[in-house]
Amino acid sequence: MGLPLFDASSDPGPSFFDYVSSTGRKPFADGPLEDAIHATTVIAVRFDGGVVMVADRQATSHYVASRDMRKIEPADRFTALAISGSAARGMQFIRIAQLSFEHYEKMTSSVLSLEGKANYLSPIIQNNNLTSPFYVIPMLAGYDVNHDIGRIFEYDGAGGCYERADFNVIGSGSPFAEGALRLGFQTGMDEESALELAALALYEAADNDPSTGGADFVRNIFPIMITLTKSGFLELEAEAVGERFRRINDRRASSGGIAGSQLR
Amino acid sequence: MSNAFYVNPEQLVNDKAQFAQKGIARGKSMIAAIYDQGVLMVGENTSASLNKISEIYDRIAFAGVGKYNEFDRLREAGVRWADNTGFTYAREDVDARALANFYAQHVGDMFSEGMKPLEVEILVAQLGNNLRPTKLYHIAYEGTISDEPHFAVVGGEADEVKKRFASFEGVMTNLSGTLKNALSALSGPERTVPIEDLEVGILEDGGSRRTFERLSDERVREILARSD
Repeated sequence: MGLPLFDASSDPGPSFFDYVSSTGRKPFADGPLEDAIHATTVIAVRFDGGVVMVADRQATSHYVASRDMRKIEPADRFTALAISGSAARGMQFIRIAQLSFEHYEKMTSSVLSLEGKANYLSPIIQNNNLTSPFYVIPMLAGYDVNHDIGRIFEYDGAGGCYERADFNVIGSGSPFAEGALRLGFQTGMDEESALELAALALYEAADNDPSTGGADFVRNIFPIMITLTKSGFLELEAEAVGERFRRINDRRASSGGIAGSQLR
Repeated sequence: MSNAFYVNPEQLVNDKAQFAQKGIARGKSMIAAIYDQGVLMVGENTSASLNKISEIYDRIAFAGVGKYNEFDRLREAGVRWADNTGFTYAREDVDARALANFYAQHVGDMFSEGMKPLEVEILVAQLGNNLRPTKLYHIAYEGTISDEPHFAVVGGEADEVKKRFASFEGVMTNLSGTLKNALSALSGPERTVPIEDLEVGILEDGGSRRTFERLSDERVREILARSD
């Protein structure tokens, strides 16, 4: 690989994806459908002052392929990326996105806006999902420092990007998590209520969806919980997450697994 | 029948060198120096947006003097090369020596084969860790690459600035002292460069993966005010 110099007329600009594509390498190659390993439930909830996110840790094929996968990663200081769908493509997607935002920043000496990041990902998702059976449905959430609010962007299979004002779920556990979120979401929640609601929604998903792993008290592997606020991306300690899920589990156990007309 | 005129190669090289030197001499000087905790790059630049000092990668920084459009293209190519190498292999495989060699080859090719030599001089700095040492590479307009053990000066009055800065050598240890010496070497005996006209960047470990930091005027003032 030599020094990548371009004429002004053929310069791919600050987009890392365009640059890599211009080299003839395909960031996402076409391929046959085999035993794809799937990643599953990720939830994001907006609250006053930011966004909270929670993701399970299980990757599933015909068997449990991994129990400690990370489906949420920081894309930069104020932005988080989450993935569902093909684990292989999802991890590659996270790498490209992380690198792209940093690449843009270094090339132009300015930080891409949150909306700019959300739009940048659309054609990359489209490029992957419409040419390959290994689809990826990601989610982008962040604290928008230009407007001082938390924002959530969801994508459809064709790369369409939609901003969500309340919450969003991706992955196979979506129907169950969404049910809990729809009942429990309130506008103007504080961070703690948002964290608790997101954890409850994940608990529901893990309870009913075989591809979603919940809190693993045997191995002490717990879902990943993060907050995006004006202090940036912050991951909660595994111990605190474990405590939260243990409390939910104990409540459920005491009532024989029945939530009992309360979100608890 | 082709009848290309014979040109004495020595004459040709001298002419090209003179041309490049003249272009570079029009600009201000830039100092890069290794201090106890990292690498400092400092130069005069009245523009706050057309940077001469930039981040290339986690532990690599770039500084260019001469024609802005020429060295900025090299900077962009460096960022692309580094990001692509790190993407293909791993972040720890991105090495400043490889990049400096590419720059030297390109600048050298342009000098000997191009329509005109590039009117640029480039510094590539690398902050060391347990894998690689802290390094300072200097690439001259004709493609000569040198590995500077302590500091390097490029640009307009490089020789005088170098002499002045070298006279401080031995006493510099920390960032504050090195920056003070650099500022006084850039200024010279007759004038003082105002802090607003300085562009300063450092590579220093601060706990995060990316070690490059562009220092604001306030930060520069604060660092200069520190008593060693």
